[in-house]
Amino acid sequence: MYVERNKNLHQKHFAQQASFWAQKITMSLKPRRVDFSETWGKILATVRGVITLSKVPRPTWNDRFSDVYALCVAYPEPLAEQLYNETKNFLEQHVQSLYKIVNSSLDNLLATYHAYWQEYSKGAEYMNQLYGYLNSQYIRKQKLSDADLAYGHGIDLDEQLMEIGELALDIWRRLMIEPLKGNLVQQLLQEIEKDREGEQTNQAILHGVINSFVHVEEYNKKGLLKLYQDLFEKRFLEETGRYYRKEAGRYLTGTTCSEYMEKVIQRLSDEEMRSRKFLHPSSYDKVTHECQQRFVADHLRFLHGECHDMVRKDRREDMRRMYTLLRTVHNGLMLMVQEVEDHIKETGLDAISNITGDNLPTQFVESVLEVHSRFSHMIQKTLSGDQQFICALDKACSSIVNSRQDQRSPCKSPEWLAKYCDMLLKRSTKGMSESEVDDKLSASITVFKYLDDKDVYQKFYSKMLAKRLIQGNSVSMDAEEAMINRLKQACGYEFTNKLHRMYTDINVSAEHNKKFNEWMRENKEELGIHFNIYVLQAGAWPLGLTNPSPLNIPQELEKSVKMFDMFYKERFNGRKLTWLHQLCNGEVRTCFLKKSYIITLSMYQMAVLLLFNGSDKLTMAEIQSSTQMAEGELGKNVQSLVDAKLLINLDGKEQLTPNVVLTVNVEYTNKRTKFKIPALYQKETVQEVEQAHKAVDEDRKLYLQAAIVRIMKARKALKHNTLIQEVISQSRARFNPSISMIKRCIEQLINKEYIARSNDAADEYTYIA
Amino acid sequence: MADTGGDNGPGKKAADKMFSLKKWNAVAMWSWDVECDTCAICRVQVMDACLRCQAENKQEDCVVVWGECNHSFHNCCMSLWVKQNNRCPLCQQEWVVQRIGK
Ligand SMILES: [Zn+2]
Ligand SMILES: [Zn+2]
Ligand SMILES: [Zn+2]
Repeated sequence: MYVERNKNLHQKHFAQQASFWAQKITMSLKPRRVDFSETWGKILATVRGVITLSKVPRPTWNDRFSDVYALCVAYPEPLAEQLYNETKNFLEQHVQSLYKIVNSSLDNLLATYHAYWQEYSKGAEYMNQLYGYLNSQYIRKQKLSDADLAYGHGIDLDEQLMEIGELALDIWRRLMIEPLKGNLVQQLLQEIEKDREGEQTNQAILHGVINSFVHVEEYNKKGLLKLYQDLFEKRFLEETGRYYRKEAGRYLTGTTCSEYMEKVIQRLSDEEMRSRKFLHPSSYDKVTHECQQRFVADHLRFLHGECHDMVRKDRREDMRRMYTLLRTVHNGLMLMVQEVEDHIKETGLDAISNITGDNLPTQFVESVLEVHSRFSHMIQKTLSGDQQFICALDKACSSIVNSRQDQRSPCKSPEWLAKYCDMLLKRSTKGMSESEVDDKLSASITVFKYLDDKDVYQKFYSKMLAKRLIQGNSVSMDAEEAMINRLKQACGYEFTNKLHRMYTDINVSAEHNKKFNEWMRENKEELGIHFNIYVLQAGAWPLGLTNPSPLNIPQELEKSVKMFDMFYKERFNGRKLTWLHQLCNGEVRTCFLKKSYIITLSMYQMAVLLLFNGSDKLTMAEIQSSTQMAEGELGKNVQSLVDAKLLINLDGKEQLTPNVVLTVNVEYTNKRTKFKIPALYQKETVQEVEQAHKAVDEDRKLYLQAAIVRIMKARKALKHNTLIQEVISQSRARFNPSISMIKRCIEQLINKEYIARSNDAADEYTYIA
Repeated sequence: MADTGGDNGPGKKAADKMFSLKKWNAVAMWSWDVECDTCAICRVQVMDACLRCQAENKQEDCVVVWGECNHSFHNCCMSLWVKQNNRCPLCQQEWVVQRIGK
């Protein structure tokens, strides 16, 4: 029967026994007198067979099972305690005799121990079943509950009764493992060292012996691993540390770091496999940790020494290995992260310092994006996309993007990035598809996010947006809106508020034009020209930085101005319109030539040209007095018409002095019938850039004041330093404010009575509702 | 090409217009019709929202109000002002709303 080692069969067998037992009880419920010696003699004979896994015939097993029952329920006294004591005696003797055999086979200790353990542990299970009735009816009932144990009651725990299976294991522990432990563990450690040296070992025996330390505590639910840990694991980890400390030392002599890392990674993975072969799962991580300490933590200086070169020479395989090793120890990665950050920064600064030529903005943005994408790819591929390296990439890119090209002037990057976007959003023959433009604009947000001075970018962006919208040379309104939304997503509603208002003004103007035309028809009025208008909201548009020249509106346009003014005043309350001549343009047709030309010109050029409808010849002084244009502006515009050969300077002098006489070129010819007189868009001057920066400063003051009001309204009272910190943290998304500027804004708000110095505490402000 | 000019030059009639206007692309800017660009209460330009509205992102709602005295302020600034003092801060006349911008 006990040759059936198979677990399933074994369980089946047990089930049979249970039903037999039930049957037996119904058969002989009545307790009877039993002769203990005689019955125990029979039980002992069978038990000797059971514990050594000899064959026990089924009827015999069944009889012994009832014998156990009979002793437990014997009349007049149950004999359970005697049975228990005799069984315990027997097991103790048995294990002691096994111990003698095992102990005397020293050269073969592990194998012998393992063989007997296999037999004994299995036999103990069967005995536990044979004593099923004793276990369930006698021992479990006598066993103290956990609660009793917890309260103590001064009971000697050694007197605790154990189920027979547990008893058997406990005896093994006491009488086999205890006296043998020194030898046992020493031999285990020797064998595992052999395994590490690549020699043959018997996995089944080693694992079996080691596992016996856990198995004997199987009934000890709370301290299952204690014996294993105290007896074996502790020594094993020490030994592991000793072994690999030596190994690491051996590797270090005469190898490159790269070779060292390769060997170590191999060793670590071998050791993980070894853990799985021999040890209890609770030890796996501890072993790995021990190895990492010996191979990595102990040699951080050596590994770190390699980071600089490896990162700069882009040795990807080494970087991957280094990352794999360093990440396992506390603070191991810090230095490598710093090296990566420095390297990205140097690469990026180098790339942008090399740009020359006329499309600096494009070169700048695309260099930064190239560096960003190259390293972000590397981090994903080689460094597992580790957050610490992504952080390093962000820091490096931020340093690159915000570096000043010239220490004496503000950083160019915001301006360049805005120009790059302008180039993409302007209709032109770039030969780029709509989706290419879209992708590039999306990518530009990556650079935008790194900008410290986002408000400077916004200032330049809004100026260029204004030009695109008014000159109507945007790729599409959809593309404009999409870009504004991208910025909004990256920096918030407030940041794009003015950009959005500009965009909206253009759309609302389309509506005005439609309504105006209907209104004219209703009023039976006609202008005789094609009239189109953009009405811009003051404040939202970055205009008025330069003072435009005054202009007397040509009489041909007077009616348009008058009618639209009326229309607008009817629709809105309290608004006035200012005509922005510098932004207007028009088309005129020539009537004095056989071939008729359609010419597009600026408002100023148009005003000059239309004067010649009244006279053949005009002096500069006459033109000036009719148009009221400023002298400089007038000169430039007349010159542009002379350059275009539409007007002739009859005096032929270089200078357009007040008495120079001009006339229309009546022999004008041009290959094209529709053309544009090059407008005098002044090249963006240095002053204009300076003005933009000055305007940003003004905006910052207003922004800071609004932020202070917002914070104070929410918090009612605040200490000076707290307020400053809050303001900085709220502003950081768009710029880094200077403390002195914040202080000035606080002073101004005190003057305007938004806030006041607190009477209760020094250094504190309160909000005034 | 050269022929176009030659024919017309001498035969030009003085009364005819030389250039006729076809199209005008105008640009105008609207602003509140006020005498003073700055709100005397909050000292922010009236075209910009007052500081409180900027702090709360209500720029769109911050309109201008004119009194019978023709002085103008942010409507929100004035509403707070009149709770304490029913006179125009600039001319001390009793504050009567003439119109509100839209
Ligand atoms: Zn105000
Ligand atoms: Zn307001
Ligand atoms: Zn007043």
